[in-house]
Amino acid sequence: MSGRRVAAITRRILQQFRRDRRTLGLLFGAPLIILGLLGYLLRGGGAVPAMGVVNLDDGPLGAAIASQLEQSKTASASGMSRAAAEAKLRSGELAGYVLLPSDFSSRAQQSRVISPEVHLEGSQPGLSQTILQAVSESFAALAGQAGGVRFAPQVTFLYGGQTFDTLDYFGAAFIGLVVFFLVFVITIVAFLRERGQGTLERLMASPLRRGEIVLGYMLGFTVLALVQAVEVLAFCLLVLHVHNAGNVGLIFVLEALMAIAAVNLGIFLSMFARTEFQAVQFIPLVILPQVLLSGIIFPISTEPGPLTVLSRVLPLTYAVEGMRNIMIKGADISWPSLQLDFGVVLGFCLLVILASAATLRRRIA
Amino acid sequence: MAAQPYAVEVDGVVKRFGSLRALDGATLRIRRGEVYGLLGPNGAGKTTLIRALVGLVIPDGGTVTVLGRRAPNLDVLARVGYMTQQAALYPDLSAEENVAFFAAINGAHEGVREALEFVELWDRRGSVVSSLSGGMRTRCSLACALAHKPDLLLLDEPTVGVDPLLRVQLWNRFQRMAHDGTSILVSSHVMDEAERCDRLGLIRFGRLLAEGTVAELKGQAGVDRLEDAFLKLAEAGGK
Ligand SMILES: Nc1ncnc2c1ncn2[C@@H]1O[C@H](COP(=O)(O)OP(=O)(O)OP(=O)(O)O)[C@@H](O)[C@H]1O
Ligand SMILES: [Mg+2]
Repeated sequence: MSGRRVAAITRRILQQFRRDRRTLGLLFGAPLIILGLLGYLLRGGGAVPAMGVVNLDDGPLGAAIASQLEQSKTASASGMSRAAAEAKLRSGELAGYVLLPSDFSSRAQQSRVISPEVHLEGSQPGLSQTILQAVSESFAALAGQAGGVRFAPQVTFLYGGQTFDTLDYFGAAFIGLVVFFLVFVITIVAFLRERGQGTLERLMASPLRRGEIVLGYMLGFTVLALVQAVEVLAFCLLVLHVHNAGNVGLIFVLEALMAIAAVNLGIFLSMFARTEFQAVQFIPLVILPQVLLSGIIFPISTEPGPLTVLSRVLPLTYAVEGMRNIMIKGADISWPSLQLDFGVVLGFCLLVILASAATLRRRIA
Repeated sequence: MAAQPYAVEVDGVVKRFGSLRALDGATLRIRRGEVYGLLGPNGAGKTTLIRALVGLVIPDGGTVTVLGRRAPNLDVLARVGYMTQQAALYPDLSAEENVAFFAAINGAHEGVREALEFVELWDRRGSVVSSLSGGMRTRCSLACALAHKPDLLLLDEPTVGVDPLLRVQLWNRFQRMAHDGTSILVSSHVMDEAERCDRLGLIRFGRLLAEGTVAELKGQAGVDRLEDAFLKLAEAGGK
């Protein structure tokens, strides 16, 4: 082992990065961006989930619990009628509501059981947990006064339910994401390889039109992407048994749109990288913030205000929401929320197709 | 069309890269059916000039006319074959698949076999490009420029790394193609190749220093050997 030879390699690596400002920027800038985003997301004082309180109790206990809940910092509770609560639950405005029945106080005295009805929307596991936690906190605060009473909430779910596990919630979102990101990575690298090996130059010196190059690329990769989409879907439904309440055809169409968008995003972003090495750096920058902000893990309704704006702009948010609408809620295309999801994903698709065709032209001219 | 005497007309073309003038008022004419040799030292502007002919370089000044039309023109590009200085091929495809692809994007569906035979690669047509030797890759790249039977062939140092025997054969074939009507522009550093061109252009610092047949250039410099003629003309032009 020669120290000099090792030093030569070490020095060469540092020299190489000195000329590649972009890589340096990524190396030292990206961690701050990603961690800063995560910090803001978790500590930025985001909203707590909204819940309703329907107090039908003839006795005093209902009012006590209701006022405890309304002071809760875990969820933002407000009193309302049963009909209003049910309607808001269905429209997604509420993550859940608690109903205190007319015999609530008397049952607590006679059978020493407190059993509020907790109705949960259920499509986002994090929110359901928070609502349950708020309800049990309100009970715990009163437990001192009502010694020896058992707490047994009756929980019902609008969507999903006790039989759902984490995979049922995340599987729906990941079916789309896996396809989107893998196709994106493959396209961006393939397109840059075309540039690196000089064949792009040959294509540009041929009578090919720019649109033809983009379309040819798109079709070629879309074939691969669709086969992958079928495989991912079949594996999730048939092998992993991810819960699906909706139409498989709809899931596939949404997946296919995401794949086409990914191909074009890959072509478009490849214009901003000189080498495959630089292209690989787009991957964490494109993927990580979207995973954090698209509502897969952290519900958008509980993000800090400015981040919800960002989340609402990211097309992936709608793709994830669409997948969950179909697979968890059993939505079909007549649902306005699913129409919005499809509309945004389709619009994004068209936008990146135009962008990839336009940037290709600009580079050449 | 046929009345057009020139395949390529380059007039006062300027191309800057930052403060560097890669082309600095280059002017040349390539006649139909001739082999035109472009000679000049490294960095003289040969590749840049060829790239300007196919629209990969947009000149900052001057005009470029190819096969009678202002460049770049998509219809004309289908009649041009361009072999880049570095072999530009798809390493995961076979030699035959590469040639067929470049033929297809130029609108040709035949000529693959002929092109591969031209460069003596028909026997190796099934070999994946990444497994070919360096010289074979150069030949495959040449075949890709030939398959659609272009009217104008632009060859940027086509014989680098090709063995001497095959080099002679390729040049015989170039001359036969030119005789059959194809116009050929070849850049080169090799003097014995230059001797086989119908006409030569000597380029330096992005300018054409001299142009003419081998005999004319020797006469202009007043020497017997082409090599000496170039050294003398280049020296004179550098001043
Ligand atoms: N894309 C570019 N960016 C900046 N400078 C360039 C670019 N392309 C060429 N040049 C410069 O233009 C000059 C001419 O280059 P060109 O490739 O045309 O030379 P050449 O005559 O083909 O040389 P060689 O015999 O080495 O192939 C060189 O100084 C080169 O550095
Ligand atoms: Mg060159």
